[in-house]
Amino acid sequence: MYVKLISSTGHKVIVKREYAVTSITIKAMLSGPGQLAENEISEVSFREISSHVLSKVCMYVTYKGHYTNSSTEILKFPAAPQIAPELLMTVNFLDC
Amino acid sequence: MASFPPRVNEKEIVRSRTIGELLAPAAPFDKKCGRENWTVAFAPDGSYFAWSQGHRTVKLVPWSQCLQNFLLHGTKNVTNSSSLRLPRQNSDGGQKNKPREHIIDCGDIVWSLAFGSSVPEKQSRCVNIEWHRFRFGQDQLLLATGLNNGRIKIWDVYTGKLLLNLVDHTEVVRDLTFAPDGSLILVSASRDKTLRVWDLKDDGNMMKVLRGHQNWVYSCAFSPDSSMLCSVGASKAVFLWNMDKYTMIRKLEGHHHDVVACDFSPDGALLATASYDTRVYIWDPHNGDILMEFGHLFPPPTPIFAGGANDRWVRSVSFSHDGLHVASLADDKMVRFWRIDEDYPVQVAPLSNGLCCAFSTDGSVLAAGTHDGSVYFWATPRQVPSLQHLCRMSVRRVMPTQEVQELPIPSKLLEFLSYRI
Repeated sequence: MYVKLISSTGHKVIVKREYAVTSITIKAMLSGPGQLAENEISEVSFREISSHVLSKVCMYVTYKGHYTNSSTEILKFPAAPQIAPELLMTVNFLDC
Repeated sequence: MASFPPRVNEKEIVRSRTIGELLAPAAPFDKKCGRENWTVAFAPDGSYFAWSQGHRTVKLVPWSQCLQNFLLHGTKNVTNSSSLRLPRQNSDGGQKNKPREHIIDCGDIVWSLAFGSSVPEKQSRCVNIEWHRFRFGQDQLLLATGLNNGRIKIWDVYTGKLLLNLVDHTEVVRDLTFAPDGSLILVSASRDKTLRVWDLKDDGNMMKVLRGHQNWVYSCAFSPDSSMLCSVGASKAVFLWNMDKYTMIRKLEGHHHDVVACDFSPDGALLATASYDTRVYIWDPHNGDILMEFGHLFPPPTPIFAGGANDRWVRSVSFSHDGLHVASLADDKMVRFWRIDEDYPVQVAPLSNGLCCAFSTDGSVLAAGTHDGSVYFWATPRQVPSLQHLCRMSVRRVMPTQEVQELPIPSKLLEFLSYRI
């Protein structure tokens, strides 16, 4: 149900699995060998992704999961230009 | 002559969902021309929609009321309905009451409309605010109408009153645009081959005349950071002007016929132009390269055919506010919605005699005006943009292409950021 994503500084973010697999890379990492019981939380640790970038990614996947196939008005997602280049590289790696 | 590339199956393209239509009132039988709806416009804060009804009148419709009417009455909206259920807008400090409809008689055929707001859409330039004779209030919303005789009339949207009458053009004022930074600078494009820059905070003083076109100027558009202005006109002209020094930056070459419409993307990194040569080009305005071409006639016409009457003139183009979609309107009775990474449309809608199109402020509705004065509305294709695209828009809002090339990131990402995919 949930996955735990760990940043380079050990910051842990827990998101729903169905939102996390928006990122193709995370989906591939989670579907690796080793079967887990349904209510266990799998962990993925990213040693190159910093905390503020990782938390922004998790905000995005939740935002996308909420507004996809929903008829309510889609609000703007705030992406400040200061973190945008670093965020872009991470997002390119995660493919989401 | 096909409307889509040969590898696309026309029946697989989704038809857009109609939201509603505003039909022009019955015309007096003795008036033959003056009915056309050359421009449609939405207010920058989404509160009003301006509808040039033909025969010299413009109707200002509160947009959320209009949308509610469409949902309640199906698709027809009676033009002279007196709706009593007006929704409350977020009024600040009680300066305006509930938004009301206004019908404005402009005294001459209306060719262009533009909304201007003293509230900046983005805090991009320092605006020196001086209050003059007309005592513009805290958030002034103005409508500028460009007329057949070259005059420009400025109206207050909330009260429907005439504020200013700008007289200088000698020919039809074909397009008007306000700077998006709230400074109430208005640029008008006219068939007298010039563009004029007016400062409405200074009583409508004309600040500058931009000369350079050899023929009619059809349209103009500001970049979102108000630093550049694009003007397009007859004889294949596409010009970019620097709006701090009012000099011409460059000419963009590539079209084969008159260029009639232009629009910037919301991050200012792309410029779309529509031409009578059946094509819409997407340019990078910082270096003049053509990034994408959207064709409306297949096989693509040769330059001689493209430069003449080919029955497939593209009349209007508009960028959506998510920066991913473009809508174009052509003479083959179709409105097309494109994604900027595909060269065939993702949705189409039927429309006869369309002349202009514009996305609503939140990007959810496309309005198109027709030759008989009516307006039709469709739901735009919406999807959650990828985070990569959101980052790209965020970076490109502040960085032109030359600075992007200097960033220390991998070349594949540099190409993505420059929209060269």
